[in-house]
Amino acid sequence: MVKYILKRLLLALLILFSVSIILYFLVRCMPMDFFDQQFAAAVGSGNMSEQDVLHIKALYGLDDNSFLGILKGYWSWLSGFLQGNMGHSFIFPASVEEVIKEKMGISFGISFVSLILELIIAIPLGIKCACNQYGKIDYTATILCMIGMAFPSFFLGNLLIKWLAVDLGWFDPMGGLVSSNLPQDASMMLRFGDMLWHLILPVTVFVVLNIGSIMRYTRTNTLEVLNADYIRTARAKGLSEGKVIYKHVFRNTMIPLITMLTFTLPTLFGGAMITEEVFNMPGIGQAAYQALQKGDVPLIMGYNMFIAALTVTGVLISDIMYAVVDPRVKLA
Amino acid sequence: MAENKQDKKKHYISAKESRQIAKENSKAIKYYEKRKKRKCNPDEYTTQMTDERNIIEFEDLHTYFFSDAGTVKAVNGVTFSIPAGSTVGVVGESGCGKSVTSLSLMQLVQAPSGQIVSGAIRFRSSLFKRDAHGKKIPVYETVIDQNGNEVVKTDAKGKPVIKRNELGGYTYEMEERVVDIAKMPIEDMRSIRGREISMIFQEPMTSLNPVFTIGNQLDEVGRLHIEGISKQKVKARSIEMLKLVGIADPEGVYKKYPHELSGGMRQRVMIAIALLCNPKLIVADEPTTALDVTIQAQILDLLREIKGKINGSIMLITHDLGVVAEMADYVVVMYAGKVIEMGTAEDIYDRPLHPYTIGLQKSKPTVDAEVDELYCIPGFVPNPINMPDYCYFRDRCEKCTAKCSGEYPKLIKVSPTHSVSCYLYEEQSEEK
Repeated sequence: MVKYILKRLLLALLILFSVSIILYFLVRCMPMDFFDQQFAAAVGSGNMSEQDVLHIKALYGLDDNSFLGILKGYWSWLSGFLQGNMGHSFIFPASVEEVIKEKMGISFGISFVSLILELIIAIPLGIKCACNQYGKIDYTATILCMIGMAFPSFFLGNLLIKWLAVDLGWFDPMGGLVSSNLPQDASMMLRFGDMLWHLILPVTVFVVLNIGSIMRYTRTNTLEVLNADYIRTARAKGLSEGKVIYKHVFRNTMIPLITMLTFTLPTLFGGAMITEEVFNMPGIGQAAYQALQKGDVPLIMGYNMFIAALTVTGVLISDIMYAVVDPRVKLA
Repeated sequence: MAENKQDKKKHYISAKESRQIAKENSKAIKYYEKRKKRKCNPDEYTTQMTDERNIIEFEDLHTYFFSDAGTVKAVNGVTFSIPAGSTVGVVGESGCGKSVTSLSLMQLVQAPSGQIVSGAIRFRSSLFKRDAHGKKIPVYETVIDQNGNEVVKTDAKGKPVIKRNELGGYTYEMEERVVDIAKMPIEDMRSIRGREISMIFQEPMTSLNPVFTIGNQLDEVGRLHIEGISKQKVKARSIEMLKLVGIADPEGVYKKYPHELSGGMRQRVMIAIALLCNPKLIVADEPTTALDVTIQAQILDLLREIKGKINGSIMLITHDLGVVAEMADYVVVMYAGKVIEMGTAEDIYDRPLHPYTIGLQKSKPTVDAEVDELYCIPGFVPNPINMPDYCYFRDRCEKCTAKCSGEYPKLIKVSPTHSVSCYLYEEQSEEK
């Protein structure tokens, strides 16, 4: 087991290294350039010369867009990265690590609450649907979930803002995490309540969008397990239907489900760019979105490496979890 | 060519017909599911045995599958009985309804499409006696006090002590009742499953839950049916059962997962699970089909040995005539959902009457006879949807006569133990 994990970790390093090369080249191929944008006005008014801009770019290793130039830039990024220094963000007044650390919490909070809600609703619903296959509950839940899955996040988000926040005024149409008019000396309780109030809409969007896939997945797996011979054995023992389903069926349904859930790890910490942007949530997704728009190379690299590392970890955890829930799997 | 076209037409279902079938199916399924889930007084399904020596009586049992292509009459009027303490073999080829008959007995037919439609399955059950509130009536331990009177023993807190039975559980007042399983709601059926009738399935490789240990799966039955039993006693009982079925290292196997055992071992575990509550009847649904020949013999020996020990009956379902010959006292031959011949093992082996049984006998491979090719019965089992009302074997029968086109032949008694459903033996009927 330990040997297996070590082997996988070494492999993960190799994967991350390759990912970083591809990412860096892709980022450098973007037509966006932060410094050109930033100093366009200054250059136009003659306060700065083209030479000055190029000089600043050279400081960050972004001056030469030839293949070798990019390679050189990558080398300087990598040497910094290996020393634990991912560089300074262009658009936020902090280092990349600090930006990620600061924004991660908010994204994690939203995603975690949504994930818990999704699981609480989707898993029992999926099992219920499987037990009443082709029944009324099954059809209703399936159709509703399909509609939810089919919505694009920005559309549903804007729709909810229009209806519930702008027209009905139930929520803050400005989005964000706290109200702009919240007094500075507000009590903890008030602050917390205000935050929850702001979280309702984004969490709803997350839940509506993701519930369908988990529910369908649970339903399919449960159906498969329900037809298994050992379920008939369990019934032949005289067990009640509830015990059959929540002991014998559930454990077997969980096997593929758990592996699927560990894949949500990147989204759990990595936030959701579009939804966060729509609701103006100061999470990591929104930061990444802005970095992309403005060509903030260090932050884009840092964010994407963070997601890549989470994905690799997620896969590793899912493999380990497989061995935990299914006694037939031995890791070697 | 023309015939082929007509044939195709026969199997073709138009959209209108398909809708009609779906509508009727959902109506029928709803009705039977509701009936299975209803709550009712035990008196509603209490009946009388026709013969007191029997433990199970099937009477005109119909189990149908409401499929999208039409109603499949998997079991279509099956009548036979299992005398107490005997082994009854049910033989027939794949799809003849023998497994569905056994699953009907446990009410385990794949719902919602499969439903027991009519008929009766009478079973001599010992049920818990209930008081006016529907609670079980415990039997208390008694002691003789200083006055010489018998009084109920009490524990330190002054509560009466419930007597323990030989398995270590509480004793309750029981009553013998003949129940009709076909009419029982599932909820009431649960106390019979695993306690009075238990089942061994065909596929030992997949019949045990892969994520629980053998011990867990055995204990489950004990904890469920032996009320008040302690954890240690359940474990002891499980290990005792593993020992009984011939597992060399019961403590070790108790902790193992199913995938760590071979097919034969798993089937032994299944038998141990079946035996745990001393059932009156063990239904063995092709218990040796998935096993290799040496293990087959061992499992059959084990079943025979166990039957003597628990003093119960066995309903053995198989397509292997050799197995039935070795094990059964009585044999029931089924074809296309109906019983076509039944009698004692000698009747069926030495004097098979129905052309199908004779064909089955002939198609059995033997070592001593020199044959170039194994005999096989010509033709196929008819399509189970829309069965015609004449002998289902007519089109495959070598001895078919003009009379065979008439209505389905009745079961004719040719001797006190032997009956056959074929027009060839009408003159020999005892009842004439």
